[in-house]
Amino acid sequence: MLRGFYTAASGMMANQRMQETLSNNLANAYTPGYKADQGTMRAFPELLIQQMNQTTVPTRSGGLNLPAGKQIGSLHTGVYMQETVPKFSQGDLRETGIKTDLALLNGNLPDDNGSLFFNVQDEAGNLRYTRNGNFTVDGEGFLTTTQGYYVLDDAGSPIQTGGMDFDVSENGTLTAADVTTQLGLSYSPNSFDLEKVGNGLYAPGEDAAPIVDARAGGGINFSISQGFLERSNVAPARVMTEMMNTYRSFELNQRVLKAYDQSLQKTVTEIARIR
Amino acid sequence: MNRTMMQASVTMGQIQHKLDIIGHNLANTNTPGYKSRQADFSSLLFQQIDNFLDEGQEEATDEIGVQNRLTPDGFRSGSGARIAHTNIDLSQGNLKKTDRALDLALLEGNHLFQLQVAIENGFETQYTRSGNFYLSALNNGQVLLTNADGLPVLGEDGQPIQLTDNMEGMEIREDGAILVTRNGNTAVEAQLGIVEAIRPRVLEAAGSNRFRLPADEVLAGEGIIENVDGQIQSGTLETSNVDISKQMTDMLMAQRAYQFNARSISTSDQMMGLISQLRS
Repeated sequence: MLRGFYTAASGMMANQRMQETLSNNLANAYTPGYKADQGTMRAFPELLIQQMNQTTVPTRSGGLNLPAGKQIGSLHTGVYMQETVPKFSQGDLRETGIKTDLALLNGNLPDDNGSLFFNVQDEAGNLRYTRNGNFTVDGEGFLTTTQGYYVLDDAGSPIQTGGMDFDVSENGTLTAADVTTQLGLSYSPNSFDLEKVGNGLYAPGEDAAPIVDARAGGGINFSISQGFLERSNVAPARVMTEMMNTYRSFELNQRVLKAYDQSLQKTVTEIARIR
Repeated sequence: MNRTMMQASVTMGQIQHKLDIIGHNLANTNTPGYKSRQADFSSLLFQQIDNFLDEGQEEATDEIGVQNRLTPDGFRSGSGARIAHTNIDLSQGNLKKTDRALDLALLEGNHLFQLQVAIENGFETQYTRSGNFYLSALNNGQVLLTNADGLPVLGEDGQPIQLTDNMEGMEIREDGAILVTRNGNTAVEAQLGIVEAIRPRVLEAAGSNRFRLPADEVLAGEGIIENVDGQIQSGTLETSNVDISKQMTDMLMAQRAYQFNARSISTSDQMMGLISQLRS
């Protein structure tokens, strides 16, 4: 069969996946603490093409044919979407004036791919990480995320603020009714190891680099701004451009597919025609 | 259906809610004691997509794949955004002098007046910051202190405030005591009941700029509302704390976000069109 047929189809499918990622970024362009995903495409494992040839060695009986082939090169049989890599760059801060909104600002970090997170506890009691500091105080006076997940302190327990009247200093000390608590902050030396699990939360993936307490030292600098939210780091103009690009690439693959179809049609209707 | 379309249409619906909230804020820029609300988004669930088709391929791609990959296996595809919650901005509104004795402004944040509202079975206490009160005459020669909707304002004892008519003057002191002058003598005849909302986010909006405790039994009660000695300014009204320029900016942003998502739907639609053209 015509190999390019499938190559073009796989291109269309990969572009569609890419479009999903871009559209999700666009949908989250105004989600606090959202980190844009970048799709990466990869060629399917390649095939090696060899020339089928023979060389003739002259002998007394008239020659001996020996097989000899030289490698032509590799052929890729398509493309697929390999992964979505979140871009962990700092989002800009937006002032809300609401005391329960906290923004985490990365300072100098020892690793290039390092990033800082708030610690929260999901409904199953697992430790999760988030950049979305859009918190609230629940009916029992605990500081929670928008889903009602507890925001944790440095000892891993929920934070009791009592009411709305509390202050958070730049270094993450929460003071409510003269009781001070250290907000739980984590540092991941390679934030690509984290998986997005929805609702703005991250979970460490398999074989993730150990996530440490952000206050453990080692040149980790950060600051927390109360009354601010970190905006999503999606740049809508860029995403729109990428979407146009992906669309055209999809269209080109569709053209190729149609061209193959036309040559097949020729095979069927013209070559086999008896006049 | 196409995943792109789903993400975008879900998000567009949520942006519409944000626009509703902004519209509500803008409509209440002149409501005394109104607190503006703000809607923030949160991302929705992520789906883990295993892009290795079968075992053999996984091994094949692993050899080269491992060093080329930055993230854990597979990839995660999101499903749009939604409104996470609506935060009330509880900052104090500006004070407007009206010189009307029954216009009251609460001077401290989170303090609320109490109102008695008739519900299906009996009465319920609701809370408000708007202090434009009135006196309404009862049949028995008494007058009742009510809010603009005619709901009785509660005193410190949790009962509606009723005063005997034919007063010569009336004044409300800073601590909420109601002074009435009769025959040249001034005396305290009632005391306004002021409460402080410790966890105001738990309060439920009951419409007409009133709040109520949620019906949820677990939450109702201790630690959410407390009786306090309020600070009141008579002859003054607290205006709404809606910042029009901020609301307009938010509205523009929401509108743009809506357009962006609409564009992803139309792009996706065109891609579907290309697929359907394959067989033509």
